Amino acid sequence: MKIQAVVVNGQKIIPSIEVGLQKQKVIGIQTNVQRKKILLAELAEQPDTYVSLVEQGEYKRLTVEELLRFMKNISGHDKPVGTMLRLFQLEDLRKMKISHLPSSKQIYLSLLRIYYAHQQTIVLEEPYFQLEEQERLVFARLLQELSAEKRIIILTSNLEDALISCDEIFRLDNAGLHQLDFADADSEPPVQEEIEEAEFKVQKIPTKKNDKVILFNPPEIDYIESINSMAVVHVGGETYSCALTLAELEERLQHYGFFRCHRSYIVNLQKVRELITWTKNSYSLRLTTGQDSVVPLSRTKLVELKKLLNI
Amino acid sequence: MNVSLKRIQAIIVKDYKEFSRNYAISVMILFPLLFAFMYRSDGAEQATMYAFVINFSLAMLTSFVQACLIAEEKERNTLRSLMMTPASMLDVLIGKSALVFIISAAVLALSTYIFGYDTSNMMVLVAAIGISILLYTAVGTICGLYSKTLIEASLSIFPVLIIFTMGPFALVFEEDYPFVKVLRYLPSSQLSELLNALEIGATTNELIMNLVIISIWAIVLTVISFVLYKKRLMDR
Repeated sequence: MKIQAVVVNGQKIIPSIEVGLQKQKVIGIQTNVQRKKILLAELAEQPDTYVSLVEQGEYKRLTVEELLRFMKNISGHDKPVGTMLRLFQLEDLRKMKISHLPSSKQIYLSLLRIYYAHQQTIVLEEPYFQLEEQERLVFARLLQELSAEKRIIILTSNLEDALISCDEIFRLDNAGLHQLDFADADSEPPVQEEIEEAEFKVQKIPTKKNDKVILFNPPEIDYIESINSMAVVHVGGETYSCALTLAELEERLQHYGFFRCHRSYIVNLQKVRELITWTKNSYSLRLTTGQDSVVPLSRTKLVELKKLLNI
Repeated sequence: MNVSLKRIQAIIVKDYKEFSRNYAISVMILFPLLFAFMYRSDGAEQATMYAFVINFSLAMLTSFVQACLIAEEKERNTLRSLMMTPASMLDVLIGKSALVFIISAAVLALSTYIFGYDTSNMMVLVAAIGISILLYTAVGTICGLYSKTLIEASLSIFPVLIIFTMGPFALVFEEDYPFVKVLRYLPSSQLSELLNALEIGATTNELIMNLVIISIWAIVLTVISFVLYKKRLMDR
């Protein structure tokens, strides 16, 4: 199923996406409320698709049994009402008027409309949001059964709801659909977690500007230079002074792809775009950051850099 | 567009249950009977009074119930869900209209009996009232389509009530204000005229003009209601 890109006020809200649908699998898409509404409108346009919205109302003056009979007759469903009552676990409530049911049951009943849909693809908006525990369990089971014959998509803004019955979960943002990977927590050895915790260290570079302490993540930094034996950190065209020496910074940052390219410069190699050769003995590095920031590269360090970059 | 009798029947049964259990709407069937009882007389004005009772009942019962049935379905978003079932929009409209027609016909027959109205030309009377019911059902459909909730629907009936039911009474001012003459062509005025003519023993041929005008109203309004129904449902 393909969805065209949606642009609102010149902003791309949803890029064009393609959802691979198949039976036996319940697809969950988690996104924010705005995207959910737009996506639902787009899905409603798709052929052979039944869309169940949250605000679906019900014929509240009918009894449960009368409603199911009506749904059966109107949709041409073949199973007798009694069988469906048993399947839905509503036998005790068959004579009850819908308006007298607890609200969780009413919503459950509205959701059951999907059982009578003849369309091959079924889209549900927030099915679990207002259901209580018991209805959630029953509905999740029914959905699993239904997925044998139909392709089911659940749209929700709540990841936990998607986890209840989705086999594959995607997150939708302005970049597109990203599949979320859920490994079972039990399968991972617990020892590994401990090691990870022990190894975890905060690596922030403390800087000062106008008496304020500002912490930078290493990847944010473009390059660091030493002016009058003071380290100056360049981030996005702004400069910040740092109390650490260049040697200390070099040690801290070498795992983040930084490189001491000159006696008084450390550069973030991820941001280097071009190696400029001025003369035989004079080189510079041009960075990708908008301004024409050029960092000198000493001849002795060139060999080291070439080895590092395999050139 | 396929029409299935089974689905229409399902809609009639469902709507009948909803109608009979919603007392705010089903109480409307009492008004025609009450009015018929109050105004029953054998006097010379019998036909005029009877025409008023019928015209009032048509707006207050037929149009009102139809408008409410459609508006309620829209209010609860069940119409949208119905559109996704094999039931066509025509199934839904015919189902509702048929139920309203049956209820209106039964209530009007009963109130005619209570009123004690009797005529030699039953054929013409039944035809005139039958066509009128269709006409007012179409009016109700239009009102229902333009309202989002039950409350809006019940308010939207008042313009219908004022123009259609009260129209014939404004004919009193015909001599002072010539433009009031237009009201003569309202279906309610035509029905009133027809009933009065029946009273003095007019032949069917003399009444044909009234019947034709009412039929034209009925056809035009039905077509409008169908087109609107289709258009407004597509928009959603």
